[in-house]
Amino acid sequence: MTATTLDDVERFDAAVARADVDAALSVVQDLLDGGLDPVGVMVDVIAPVQTRVGRRWQSGAWSVAQEHAATSVAVSALEAVARATQPQGRARGRVVIACAEREWHAVPAMIVAGALRTQGWQTMLLGASTPTARLSRYLQDLGPDVTAVSCSVAAGLPNARGFIEASTTAGIPVLAGGAAFGPDSLRADRLGATAWAADARGAAAAIEGLPLVVPAVPPLPGDLTREVAALRTAHDAVVDEALRRTGVAPAAVDGEDPMRESLDQAVHSVAGAVLTDDPRLLGDTAGWVSDVLRARGFDDPDAAVRDALVHAMREYPRAATMVGDHWPDVAPRSA
Amino acid sequence: MLPVEPPVGDTTWEVVLDAPRQDVGQILDIELSGSLNLRRTVMRTLEVTRSRFADWALVVVADPRSDSLTLYGGEDPRATTTVRRAASADLLQQVIESGQHELLSVDSDAVPFDALTALIPHEPLRDEAARLRPADVLALPMAARGAPLGALILVRRSGRGFDETDVALLGQFAARAALALDSARIYEDHARVTRVLEENLRPPGLPVIPGVELATSFRSAAEHLEIGGDFYDVHGDDDSWLVVLGDVCGKGVDAAVLNSRARQSIRTAARYDRSPGRILSTLNDVLYDDASDKFVTVVCALLTPRDDGSVLVQVAVAGHPAPLVVRAGGEVEQPAISGRLAGVIRHDDRYQEVGFDLLPGDSMVLFSDGIYEAKGPRGLYGMDRLRTVLERYAGSGAVAMCEAVEQDVVEHLGGHGHDDMTALVVAPRRTGAGQG
Repeated sequence: MTATTLDDVERFDAAVARADVDAALSVVQDLLDGGLDPVGVMVDVIAPVQTRVGRRWQSGAWSVAQEHAATSVAVSALEAVARATQPQGRARGRVVIACAEREWHAVPAMIVAGALRTQGWQTMLLGASTPTARLSRYLQDLGPDVTAVSCSVAAGLPNARGFIEASTTAGIPVLAGGAAFGPDSLRADRLGATAWAADARGAAAAIEGLPLVVPAVPPLPGDLTREVAALRTAHDAVVDEALRRTGVAPAAVDGEDPMRESLDQAVHSVAGAVLTDDPRLLGDTAGWVSDVLRARGFDDPDAAVRDALVHAMREYPRAATMVGDHWPDVAPRSA
Repeated sequence: MLPVEPPVGDTTWEVVLDAPRQDVGQILDIELSGSLNLRRTVMRTLEVTRSRFADWALVVVADPRSDSLTLYGGEDPRATTTVRRAASADLLQQVIESGQHELLSVDSDAVPFDALTALIPHEPLRDEAARLRPADVLALPMAARGAPLGALILVRRSGRGFDETDVALLGQFAARAALALDSARIYEDHARVTRVLEENLRPPGLPVIPGVELATSFRSAAEHLEIGGDFYDVHGDDDSWLVVLGDVCGKGVDAAVLNSRARQSIRTAARYDRSPGRILSTLNDVLYDDASDKFVTVVCALLTPRDDGSVLVQVAVAGHPAPLVVRAGGEVEQPAISGRLAGVIRHDDRYQEVGFDLLPGDSMVLFSDGIYEAKGPRGLYGMDRLRTVLERYAGSGAVAMCEAVEQDVVEHLGGHGHDDMTALVVAPRRTGAGQG
């Protein structure tokens, strides 16, 4: 096993930035031929470049189409790594890996699947935005040992809870991870996940210690789920009202509506923060929103976004209070 | 009540059964019926048994078709062994067939193996149980829906014993577990049928076409299924390729059966004549002759790749919207073309064909009505929004464009139900580097 060099990352990045599949695959092949282990290729080369890809859209350097095209190159590279990978060690159990509905970032789940496969786990990857009914069907048909749920954006958290209910009701432990779960296990714990992992290597370690059978998760507190359900039902109306409150926007570029998109993510993230009772989620989202808006011609948007959210959510006491107390006046820059 | 007092020694039981009996029954029902998977239901039965009732447990399931017994558990709750029924223990057979339990004491030395041999038909498992001697062994019958299903065998170290109350309560537990296992067995049979059907009815994988990138996305109206009324197919050889996307009226399994027939008819017709218009005429005749009142809409495109990387496309439609062509620069065009839907009326109308070129960087998008008729909190998705998304993704490649459409439509739905939704994107590859 060799170490990754910065140069490998730069070469892969350059190929991805040109959306050049052939060049990206040849970088991956060189690394594998050079003795870098498959998990290293995925976690230390493909994953950091994917993070850069997201940042480039966030900072306005790339269009959303460029971001998508680059991502499809990363997916091809991951598939190539998977084809070149032989499972090592003894055969372990079966894992179903999926993103809950509204989670469209499939790359982290692919990387986790790849890392688990190299350890001898049989993996079934259900991909982006999987309906809970579809997950349940696979749980009943396959009877896996573990369900792994990946969540990169807050919008996926409420449906991740649905995954956790579906899985634990069938007695199957749930391993949760991804950026939207935050830097520690708090949100995963609150949603009833059996275990949390910080990244793909952490997932490969955490999965070893899971119980064979878990009890069904108890229901979340009723007043909390009622408010979140009401907020989700009224989601579009709340976003519209917040949008009206923010007033005139700079001219749209490239068919984007960055304020609507930001408020859409913000309202989803408030629902996630209320559901997990973790206001830190709002700080993360505020940083992201701030970057996106500043890069697209909005000056000092943070306080205006917060006031619009508080106004639009005034009938949702927990949500409005949480935003009022925790959405920063000036968001920390996340990039 | 069970257990009567906190367990002693190195046992791992939890003291849980101090609740009234009905509550215990309810708790166990919820725990046991949560899974429809046989293996998971067995694991849960063993888990409950091991944590609450016994030091060692084995679930025995009889398979009447193969005349074998499957043994689950022992020390390792994941362990599975299958033994021939004829070779198995007499007393176990009797418990299964008679529906009456057996309770035995196994001393340290006297009557060492007879009792265990009579109940546990597998030597390594018998050795596990024997290591717990002196012990008490309880074999409970498991029967469900009027038929014997198997048995639950529990071992407790000496001193704990099974009194009458224990036996009665554990008998109820075994009956509930049996019902859960039987349900799982029935589900497994049905799931197998569904899986085989799905494998034959769902669209086949996409071929690799040199110089052309293909991508598809399909979401069934029945979210738990992978089949529905929409279908697509791509087949051909190095000279030309046929790309088909269609929609059968209705959804679910009924529709899937008809769409499979339509897909096969097109494949067969294409062996003799690759003209999209004539393929659709043949399809109309075949489906009409089936005397079904069902109809099918189809878009059929013949791709002929050229040496310069461009692709000649000839398209015909039967009651289906024409594909959208997204130029590298962002212009979105839709060829003016129409044709009657297939399978309802016998007619000799020729299906019109139009031809156009796709250059590297251009894309062609085939789609079903589930896309533009998707209805969310803001109303219908509509063709305008589809065109807007495609404009934004011009030149980004087939995979990125297809995912973008899927994501935009699903987000528009905002959690509402939907019809089958299918998109298929064809994009001649740009040679060398550079998409942006």
